[in-house]
Formats: sequence, C-alpha cells, structure tokens
Amino acid sequence: MELSRLLLNYPYFISIILFCLGCLCILTQHNLVKKVIGINIMETSIFLFFIAVGNIDGGVAPIYDPALPADVIYINPLTSTLMLTGIVVSFSVTAFALAIIVKLYQFYGTIYAQDIMRMR
Amino acid sequence: MEHFQKLMPFSVVMIPLIVAFMLAIFARWKREFCAYIAIAAVAYGFYISYLLTLRVMAGEVIHYAVSGWIAPWGIELVIDELGAMMLLLLTGCSLVILLFSMKSLHKEIPEQATGWYYTLYLLTLSAMIGMVITNDLFNLYVMVEVTGLGACGLVVAKGEKLSTEASLRYLLLATLGSGFLLFAIGFLYQVTGNLNISYVAAELVQVREQYPFLMWATMSFITVGLGVKAALFPLHIWLPDAHSSAPSSSSAILSGLVVKVYIVSMLRIYFLVFGFEVFHESYMRYLILLLASMAILGGSLFAFVQLNLKRRLAYSTVAQIGYIFLGFSLGTSWGIVAALLHIIIHAFMKICLFLSAGAIYYQTGRKKVTHFSGLGYQMPVTMAAFTVAALSMVGIPLFGGFITKYGLAMGSLEANNPYFIILIVLSGLLNAAYYFPIVWQAYFTSSHNVKLEFDKVPVTMLIPIVIMALGILYMGIFPSGTLDFLERAVSRMIL
Repeated sequence: MELSRLLLNYPYFISIILFCLGCLCILTQHNLVKKVIGINIMETSIFLFFIAVGNIDGGVAPIYDPALPADVIYINPLTSTLMLTGIVVSFSVTAFALAIIVKLYQFYGTIYAQDIMRMR
Repeated sequence: MEHFQKLMPFSVVMIPLIVAFMLAIFARWKREFCAYIAIAAVAYGFYISYLLTLRVMAGEVIHYAVSGWIAPWGIELVIDELGAMMLLLLTGCSLVILLFSMKSLHKEIPEQATGWYYTLYLLTLSAMIGMVITNDLFNLYVMVEVTGLGACGLVVAKGEKLSTEASLRYLLLATLGSGFLLFAIGFLYQVTGNLNISYVAAELVQVREQYPFLMWATMSFITVGLGVKAALFPLHIWLPDAHSSAPSSSSAILSGLVVKVYIVSMLRIYFLVFGFEVFHESYMRYLILLLASMAILGGSLFAFVQLNLKRRLAYSTVAQIGYIFLGFSLGTSWGIVAALLHIIIHAFMKICLFLSAGAIYYQTGRKKVTHFSGLGYQMPVTMAAFTVAALSMVGIPLFGGFITKYGLAMGSLEANNPYFIILIVLSGLLNAAYYFPIVWQAYFTSSHNVKLEFDKVPVTMLIPIVIMALGILYMGIFPSGTLDFLERAVSRMIL
C-alpha cells in the first residue's frame, strides 16, 4: 500500500532524489564548476516539486477557453508563476558564482577547491 | 499627503531599491557623489521608519497590500512591533555604517569599485527591510535570496584573493540554505494552499494533525535553511572567512545586521506560522537549544585562539548568535525578549567593534591583536569606544550586554533550567579572556615616551564609532522603554 502511494506520487519522489543529489554535489565535489552544477540540480528539483504541486490529473492549461466544456479542470497556475521567479533567482546565482570562479581562476590558476585551500 | 501616508511602508523598501539601480548608472559618471546619494536614500528610510514606529507604538499594526491586491492573493506588508523595531535598527545602523564607509572605503577597495559598492549596499539593505516587513512566504524567499547575493557582493568588493574565495563559499552555502527554505515553503503551500503567513497559519491549525511527518520535515528544513544563513553553530563555517576578509564597513553590516534578519524570519515562521505551542513542544526546540549552547562555548573558544582582530570578532559573532538562539528556544517570554534585545545590542556592539577595527587599520595598518600596544594613547576616542563595546560583550552592569545576560538568566529560571546560567557566566568569562587582553595592551603596555594625541582618522569615521558606543551605554542605563516595547512584540507573537 505504501509502495503504491509512492508510485502514484512519483514526481515528488524524483524531486527529493534530485534535491539530495544536488546537495551532495555541492558539498562533496572539489571542482567549483561542478558545485555550481550541483546548485542548478538542486534548484531544478525544487521547480519540479512546485510544478508537481500545482498539477492536477486531467487538468488543462490555465487559459480560459469558451470552447471547452464548463466542467473542465484547469491546473493551478500560481506555482508555475512562482517558479518563473525561482528560475530568475537561480540564473542570477549561477551567473554570480561563475563570475567569482573566473576571478578565482585568475588568482590561483585552478578551479579545484583542494588546490586553492593548499595555496592559501 | 493622505496617499503618501498609505504608501510609506512600500516606499521604505522601494526607495533604497530604486536608488540602488540608479546609482549603478550614476557611478559611471560621477563616482564621488554616490556616497551622498546613498546616505540621502537611507536617511529617508530612517525618517519613514521613525514615523512608522511612532504609529506602531501608538498601538496600530500597519497593513499594506502591494499594488492594491488584497491579502490572500497579493503580497502583503505588515509592520508589527517586531517589524518596526527591525526597521528602525536596520535603517539607523546602516546610516551610521554608510557615514563610516565614505572615507574608509578608499583605503580598502579598488578605486573604480567605490561607486558600485553603494549599489550593493542599498540592494542588501532594501532586501533586508523587505524581509522583516513582508507577510508573504514566497516574497520572503525572494528577499532572502537578494540579501544573500548582495551580501556576497559586499564581501567580494574588496577584490582580493581571500575575500573572493570566502564569498564563493558564502554564496554556495547560502544558496544551499535558500534551497532548503524554498522546499519548506513548497511543503507549506502544498498542505495549506496559501502563501500569506496569516492565512497559512489559520489553515495549518486545521490540517496539522493529518501530516505530522510533513510538519516535522518542514520545521527541520526551515531550521537548516535559515540556520545556514544565520550561522547557527555547526553551520557557521562560512562566516569567519567571509566576515573577516570583507572591507570593514561590509563586515559591520554583515555581522551586525544581515545574520539577524534571518533569525527574525525564523522567529516569525516558527511563532506565527507553526504557532508558539507547536514550537514549544517540538524536538526542534531542544536541538536549537543544544546547538546554541555549543555555539556560545565553541564560538568563544575559537575566538580565543585567533590573532587577527577581525577574525576574532567574526568568531565572537558566532558565539553571540548563540545567545539569540538560546533566548528564543528557551521558550519563555523573558527569554524571547532577551533574544530580541540582544539582536539590537549585538548590532550596536559588533558594529562598534568592527568599525573600530577598521579605524585602527586606517590609521596604523595593524591587524594583529598582539600589535596594539600604546594604541589607547594614539587613538583615544576609538579605543574608548572599543573598550565600551568590550565591557558590554563581557556583561558588566551599566553596559548593554548586561541587560541581555540578565534577561537570559531570568528566562532560564522561568524555563526551570538553571544550568544555562552557568553557561552564560562561563561565556562571559571567555569573552573577558579574549577582549580584555586587547584593551589591556592598548592602555597599559606602552613604552615610556608616549603622549596623548587625538585620533588621526577623518571625523566622519569617528562619529559612527562614538554613536554606537553611546547606543550601548544608552541601552545599558535606560533599557526599560525598549524592554516594554519588546514585551509587547513578544506578547503579540506568543499570545
């Protein structure tokens, strides 16, 4: 019974797995660019989670259309809208992080966190 | 005029934000005027905050629906007692730091960056103001993210090896934290269908029993997410590097204000969304209590072994953040009042100390605590302010720090947990062990032929230090007005 519930709600399950992968990537990778990729995986998993929250089985896109029957179900547009903001935030964090990494490469000549720690 | 009065809560966020982006363009053209424009914008914010605080003190709770969309649909700004206190603290303290940065910046960051520094500064400030007065969870997340980016920018502005590396670590961990926060907000939205804090709280009372596991997950995600940003003890690893390698005016705003707003948001979410009762009975409270105790001892011990003054101050921040967390997880009204009071007093103390460190570096170029002999005669005003802040850190009566230590002791007695008094006394002694040697050295270990002279730093750098020292003394000698106001704030939150 528990397993069937898990299968039914698979988007949440996948988003949690992706979230954990992203966190692991940020914390354990030594390559700074891979850490930034970890950030992106993590934030994308949250976008997936939010969009899964807003989705309704059998719902249609939330654009009013008089041709559709009156009892049609529209999905919740709010979560998708929120994630537009989330994408912008994620984009700016990535851009900023990459800019700092370029700067670090100019200073140290490497993008491996271990080597930078050793050179300090 | 009527219309303006309605717009006041909105303008206090928007004016610094708009001026921030205007300054980015203006800096290309006339770099030397940027500081004055920034000061004007923050002074406006301070004046509006003062007017709003007067209205809140008269018993009003100010609501403002952004662009006319009312509460459950649009973003709502709410200024209650806690919000008003933070507004006044944020705008007032950053005005003082800006005054300091006018002259000190030229020695610490590359000349061509001095104009854009104020863009980052105002951006961080406006996001912090937004964070403390917003009543919308997603808006809170956006403000948290903007504050994080702005704060990283303030660190990296120095353009040196150390600060660049520290700010990347800060950025990565802060983003990790806001990811956790956003996930928690997603959980709350999923079970309640609302983002407005008041509506989420009302819905949550009904559905809380059905999802015990989800409540537990949400609470821990919020603790981790905001705990990373507020430097709760084992999650503080980014703080010492970032705060010590930044320019001194950035260190002051980061240590004095930025870490506090996350604590205020955490307090809001725990007490207003979950409710005081739920927080009081959850295991999370005991976890925070434990981590705060570890922070107080661990932060002080780490600070004790540092020889660089700014690193010592940064580790001391970790310990002082522990006080605030200890106060609010004690779960008694005295404890929470002491935590809120410590937010104010620690802001005064840490800004005073970091600005003094900046002034000492400006005049003498010294950074190590072992090189301060005779400084009490070369820079009497700065060292006097430093001494006031150090005495307050230790918790000597008549100084601000004593009031919070007293409040925390009363709180732990109320919570039937007198062991924390031992912890507080022990940490006071540790503070004495790492602050008094500096003061002692500055005044009593000088060579024979020193004569008293006035500080050779610009007067715009001395005034902020003196204002902060006077603030500490004021809070220590006349705390009753602030305490009454904070008690009102607490009684609104814990009912």
